[in-house]
Amino acid sequence: MVAFILRRLGVLGVILMGSSFILYNLAAISADPLADLRLSTDPDRDAKILALTRELQLDVIPPLRYFLWLRGVLGIFIGQPDFGTGRDGLAVLDSLALAIPVTLRLVAAATLLAAILGIMIGIVTALRQYSRFDYSMTFIAFLLFSLPVFWVAVLLKEYLAISFNDFLREPNIPFNWIIGIGLASGLFWASVIGGSRKTFWTTYVVAFVASSSLVAVLGMTGWLLDPSLGPIVVLVLSIGIAFGVTQISVGLGNRKALGASLTIAGLSVVAFYPANWVFDNYASALNIFLMVCALITTSVFIGLAFSKIDRAPIVRTTIITGVLSANLVLIDKFMQTWKPYMQTDAINYRPVPTVGERNDLLNSPDFWISNLDVITHLFLPTMALTLIGFAGYIRFARGTLLEVLNQDYIRTARAKGLSERTVIMRHAFRNTMIPMATILVADFAGVIGGAFITESVFAWSGMGTLGLQAIRGQDLNLLMGVFFVTATMAVLANFVADLLYSALDPRIRVGSGA
Amino acid sequence: MKFTRSAKFALAAAASAALAVSLLTPAQAATRSTVVIHHTNVQTGLNCGLSTTNSTVCTDQAALTGMGFNYYNDKKELIKNTTFGSYKVIKNSKTDFRVQYTVAPGRVWSDGTPITGVDLLLSHILGSDTYSIEAGLGDPASKTTKPAFNGQGYGSTYHKNIVGEPVLSSDEMSVTLRWKSPIANWDLYGPGPAPVHAMVLLAEGKDGLQSASANLAAKDRFLAAYKSKDTALLKKIGKVWSEDYTITTINSSTNPLLLISNGGFIVESAVPKTSMTLVVNPKYNSGPKMTGSIDKIVFKVITDGTAAVQALSNGELDVYSGQATADAVAALKKITSVNITGGEQAVYEHWDLHYDSVEGETPYTGVFSKNGGAKAKALRQAFLLGIPRDEIMEKIIAPINGITKPLCTSWVAPGTSAYDKICAVNGSAFYTRGTQESRNKTALALVQKFYPDALKNPIKINVLVPGGNARRAAQFALAKANLAKVGFELVGDVQSGWGALLGSGKYDAFFFAWVSSSVTQKQSCSVLETTGGSNYVMGYSNSTVDKVCTELDVAMKPDLLVQKYITADRALFADAVTLPVFTHPGVTAINKDLKGLKPAPLSPQLTWNYWEWSY
Repeated sequence: MVAFILRRLGVLGVILMGSSFILYNLAAISADPLADLRLSTDPDRDAKILALTRELQLDVIPPLRYFLWLRGVLGIFIGQPDFGTGRDGLAVLDSLALAIPVTLRLVAAATLLAAILGIMIGIVTALRQYSRFDYSMTFIAFLLFSLPVFWVAVLLKEYLAISFNDFLREPNIPFNWIIGIGLASGLFWASVIGGSRKTFWTTYVVAFVASSSLVAVLGMTGWLLDPSLGPIVVLVLSIGIAFGVTQISVGLGNRKALGASLTIAGLSVVAFYPANWVFDNYASALNIFLMVCALITTSVFIGLAFSKIDRAPIVRTTIITGVLSANLVLIDKFMQTWKPYMQTDAINYRPVPTVGERNDLLNSPDFWISNLDVITHLFLPTMALTLIGFAGYIRFARGTLLEVLNQDYIRTARAKGLSERTVIMRHAFRNTMIPMATILVADFAGVIGGAFITESVFAWSGMGTLGLQAIRGQDLNLLMGVFFVTATMAVLANFVADLLYSALDPRIRVGSGA
Repeated sequence: MKFTRSAKFALAAAASAALAVSLLTPAQAATRSTVVIHHTNVQTGLNCGLSTTNSTVCTDQAALTGMGFNYYNDKKELIKNTTFGSYKVIKNSKTDFRVQYTVAPGRVWSDGTPITGVDLLLSHILGSDTYSIEAGLGDPASKTTKPAFNGQGYGSTYHKNIVGEPVLSSDEMSVTLRWKSPIANWDLYGPGPAPVHAMVLLAEGKDGLQSASANLAAKDRFLAAYKSKDTALLKKIGKVWSEDYTITTINSSTNPLLLISNGGFIVESAVPKTSMTLVVNPKYNSGPKMTGSIDKIVFKVITDGTAAVQALSNGELDVYSGQATADAVAALKKITSVNITGGEQAVYEHWDLHYDSVEGETPYTGVFSKNGGAKAKALRQAFLLGIPRDEIMEKIIAPINGITKPLCTSWVAPGTSAYDKICAVNGSAFYTRGTQESRNKTALALVQKFYPDALKNPIKINVLVPGGNARRAAQFALAKANLAKVGFELVGDVQSGWGALLGSGKYDAFFFAWVSSSVTQKQSCSVLETTGGSNYVMGYSNSTVDKVCTELDVAMKPDLLVQKYITADRALFADAVTLPVFTHPGVTAINKDLKGLKPAPLSPQLTWNYWEWSY
């Protein structure tokens, strides 16, 4: 294993060197940093050209200059990396250090959401192959696939930010909206659940009534201005989560797992008030992390307490249930923050922003308000990236699952008399995840350097902005800095994908043989 | 799937229960006290006097943080800031012209240190090549080494006309400058205050605000160093001035000495390429009293035009000042919560015809060359007549700011009585008389005198077209279409690096704009003066014009000035070498609730009267 990893890392190093050498030379030949100075009519033009030549070592030919650059980069190994200085006078390393977290924040949530949603919908479409739901999702997937992000961004801003904020001034949901949302939700759930004509219409009516009345009640109570879940809703939802997670992971027949899940779900609600007390008085990222640790430990103990044999799946189920229902408490806290957040001077009842990473005017020391501000600023960009990204996952997950379902071992599993849940979740889904894992990792790496347009339309200054600045300003050092990060991410992602592959697929053994 | 539906029911039930207790909160708007200003360019630092930091966003921010003896208002009038101090001519002879600048007592920097005449002395170090050389700070004209104060002020009017060094009065509140002669617009070249005590402390490595006595002692150390030309200390201060003020990241850990200023606002924080936040300066007393209600101003960088317009309509911006295109204006007009001010910028678009070879460029021998005599002159006249100025105004400019009349002189701005007076008699009537149809006829007659079959075999005219600019491309297309009717075929050479090609013998005609950053008597002399014009591109030389340009170096009365402009214009129009077209339109959209913000044509365009802003 160690030999394999070392060998792979060595190959990655060679790839990085080779690609950076080629790119350095291409960029150095194509871009002339002195171009604007040559055209200048400045009296001290020659002096400036001289100074810049000296500063950027332009008198050394690019293939050799590459090694000067490389020497600085190799400083990583002695803890003193030197990526040179950009044309704006800032050290490239500093610029990168500022840009990387911004880009990570922008793409991390979007990639994850796109993957989760995409895989979920993809699996449902595969299970309901050639149904109305399958066709409509295929249609939507292709529609989203073909949309350019800058256009989606403009639409989202127009409707979800500007119009929604205007609506919040007087949040009375009009009657036709209540009916419309009900109709759409009815159609969605009825299509997902499928079944006979009778089930279809029953589901349709139930979903329609439920959604419409929910929307109506939310509108009438002014819930949008001061939302919250409260302990009762948290409890009900937690119980739902306990049943759902147990059903999907081990089946409701496993009474011990159900018992453990319900216990942890109940505990989450019991912890509602103490948790809120901590949130109000000792809010910090560290404390929340500690609470998550405590939660997971508790879950493990409850899982162990309930089970005697086959413990691992039960503990796993308990942890998932615990994390999900504890999330509700966190979501509730953010909902409670919504009203004070909107009341701040900086937000002034227009909570959904269209640009930026944070509100420059909001100077709140409150942990929840400043984090909610980050979330509202992430909302539209994440949504735009998710909408465009998840179409691919739908198609990919659907195709992979269908292929797996046609395999002989699935037929064997069914022939053994295993329940449909076991066949799908244990035999089919896991095998579907193998190829998904590889594209997920590669996708993430690609997105790090590739959110150029999204960053620009949402006025975020991350890696994309930096790359653009480097290309426009003929800034070789900066360009190489951006390239180095992106390329490293790409090769590392491939490496991680390989390791994941071997972890997920029992047929592949890393390091055996050669 | 089942639980989700039941969850919805549960949610509905819980929400209904909540109905009893929750009260519907009416959304009421708080009174705002902040202004968010949009900029398309990133902040460049706190010192705008360096070549790398000189930008519109820097001057807008500098106007908020610094107040001097005068400023431009939105009518391009230079207003004296009598709160800060006063200046008066104390000797006025042809060879000895002295102006005394006095700081009013009690003015303070944002750290409470009193502002005195000592703070005005840095201007001399930044403007006088002589001082820089004598103090061992380096020769600013040197091509190999940078001066210690690596600014843009050297080699300018100040250096060329100052005599000796400024004299500090015994109470240290006044500084007297002596000029060679009563130079025109001398009030633009006066000194400005700089927090020299902060620079000394920074040069000495202090990293926080100091006590009042330490500040005064630092100021004395500056004065001593200035007087004795103490190279070591001045070099250190120069390093601070040139390098330390270029920061773009500002937060609570930034050295507060760097932020000391005397304007109504002080910089509080800045995120590179994203935003800069300024808060009200509680000790401000260097300018007009704050009558408005603004206590925070944010400059926000949004490079994407559509994103900025949407942010404006979402209330995230209060002031939008982006590219003035017809599309942008149309989008802005749809937003009901903002007022749009059209207005004009101090940028003048004009067409120039090549007249003679320009020194240092390839020789010019084309059809417009002065060697062509009467024939060339007729062709120049015909060409200028054929430029469809009315159509250009109507199609390119009017949709933005509604102005339909082309310029008839570039010496003074339209809308003034001087402008009307000049236009009436300066010879521009030849190019405005009648309609474009009738002017085309006149032009065609002029061309056909020498080229009878010009309509069949048009005369090729090489035009340098500035690239990367949609408005100029449209302008060229209109000109090309109309000039084809009078026997010219325009061959456009689109170049993005057009600035360096101005004056090249390859081209018969140029069209571009010159930007004025201040109102001076000489204005367009930069394109006309045979000797020393920085925009001298036509090779045009006319003793009358040169004489006028020389005379404009000396301050003169408005009436006489108008006469000089008329004299120069007459010569120009008679020789048919240049024709002004339009002033560039500006577009600013301002939150309807924000009162008092009046965009000005000259920099600082947005922030010149921040003390009047209010909601």
